[in-house]
Amino acid sequence: MGPDAIPRQSPLGMRAAVLLSLLAAGGISLGYLGVAISDLTPSSGGMATAWKFLSRAASPAFVSEARFVPADAPPLIMIALDAAWNTLLTGAAAMGLSLVMGLVLGFAASSAWWRNPGVDGGTGLDGVLRRSAAPAICAASRLLIILMRSIHELMWAVLFLAAIGLNNLAAVIAIAIPYAGTLAKIFSELIDEAPRASARSLRGLGASGVQTYCVALLPCALPDLVAYAFYRFECVLRSSAILGFFGFPTLGLYIRQSFNATNYGEVWTFLYALLALVILADTWSGAVRKRVLA
Amino acid sequence: MTKGADFLLDQVSVQYQNTLALDEVTLSIAPGEAVGLVGPSGSGKSTLLHLFNGRGQPTGGWASVSGKRLIDYGRRDLKQLRSRIGFIDQGLNLVPNLRVSQNVIAGRLGQVGFARSLSMLLFPSRAMLREVHELLERVGIPEKLFERTDRLSGGQQQRVALARALFQKPVALIADEPVSSVDPARARDTIEQLTRISREEGLTLCMSLHNFELAREHLPRLIGLRDGKVVFDRASEEIGDEQFDALYTLEKNEMWRDGA
Repeated sequence: MGPDAIPRQSPLGMRAAVLLSLLAAGGISLGYLGVAISDLTPSSGGMATAWKFLSRAASPAFVSEARFVPADAPPLIMIALDAAWNTLLTGAAAMGLSLVMGLVLGFAASSAWWRNPGVDGGTGLDGVLRRSAAPAICAASRLLIILMRSIHELMWAVLFLAAIGLNNLAAVIAIAIPYAGTLAKIFSELIDEAPRASARSLRGLGASGVQTYCVALLPCALPDLVAYAFYRFECVLRSSAILGFFGFPTLGLYIRQSFNATNYGEVWTFLYALLALVILADTWSGAVRKRVLA
Repeated sequence: MTKGADFLLDQVSVQYQNTLALDEVTLSIAPGEAVGLVGPSGSGKSTLLHLFNGRGQPTGGWASVSGKRLIDYGRRDLKQLRSRIGFIDQGLNLVPNLRVSQNVIAGRLGQVGFARSLSMLLFPSRAMLREVHELLERVGIPEKLFERTDRLSGGQQQRVALARALFQKPVALIADEPVSSVDPARARDTIEQLTRISREEGLTLCMSLHNFELAREHLPRLIGLRDGKVVFDRASEEIGDEQFDALYTLEKNEMWRDGA
């Protein structure tokens, strides 16, 4: 092979070029938005509020800071625990629902179950229909996933709040839809990237596409699926808390109420409750992930 | 389908885009016969084996299994055919993070519906577990019944693959270089098991091998393939070392091609 036959190598690797392009796009966008460093300087009023709020971080409230507290009102700690419990329940219910939807849509959107050349053989009408229907289902599922993901849970919450009112079901569905979309997308990618040798082998023994998916592809992808699902569980807790800003009885509701009343000690109490919830979920998911990935 | 499938290839060619993997191959394998395929890498052994359970289709000529041409097998017939032919892949290709019992039970997936397949994998009956245990006993690893498959050694995984194939209650066993990744002692042991069990069960056995000694020792008939063509097809004792060496001798252009 002569020197002319040696392919030319780009002095800049493809990855470096992509990274530089992204940085350049970021810089140009900031320029168009007219963002300046001086915008970071706070107003004097804003600075005072921020200081008041931050200074209470070390001294959260253990009793209500409200001027008027009804005699039969539960203690602040009980309110915080109850709100944390509601946050956890809403998050868990939404996660359960989104996991089921994510697995079904992830299956339909992954190409692994239908891209098995020569397996669903036959050149007849049946074979042609099978080969064309499967990609159509896959494409429709991917479109649905994009739709579910592209609308944030807060937008879904506004929609369901208007449609079915302020109840727990609205909160659960509002979170479950975008989470199911994200889970389905990641699940389908993880399943498509999972090793296919076992699946091909089972197809060779007469197993159907769905059997192969459940018995070979899913178990191969399972450790990654579980790890990602647990990561999303931490996110769902934060989303569940944030939905409180719309009036759902989760931690966000109390954070907003206390913040509006400038009871910053109470705000920190609820924030610490949320923090504790996330740390607990993180510790638990870490332990489970360790077992699954072992 | 009677016990012991028969295979017949008549002028079979298989073309993959620009590569002719099999070139007008004609051969027949009788029910209960044990046959070895030998030949260098890329000679068409795997392509030929894949025809036997319909994983591949001839692009020329015709192939038949158990008296029926592959082209005449409908989708369901093909599924049924595959479910009764135990196929041990070169890389074994077990599901790594399933238990040994589940991998063995997976051998019967082609014979049951979806709901039944999930129930027997997740909640196998005592009778089924006993059947799996007996098979594992037969291949020498009964104590591994509930072990995770990826925690077994290569040799033990080979036995699981054999048990999975036997769990299919097959009419034939096809093995694609089943001993390519184990040491000579284990290779001998595996080939002994494969041939013994096939003989005991009256199964047709066809396997590809690179080890001529093992092939000659355990398989009464050997088929030599090179560049997709049958170079020899005769009784093992009639094949001398020089014929085997000739089969594997690289020509100058092949050395360049393979980077040797």
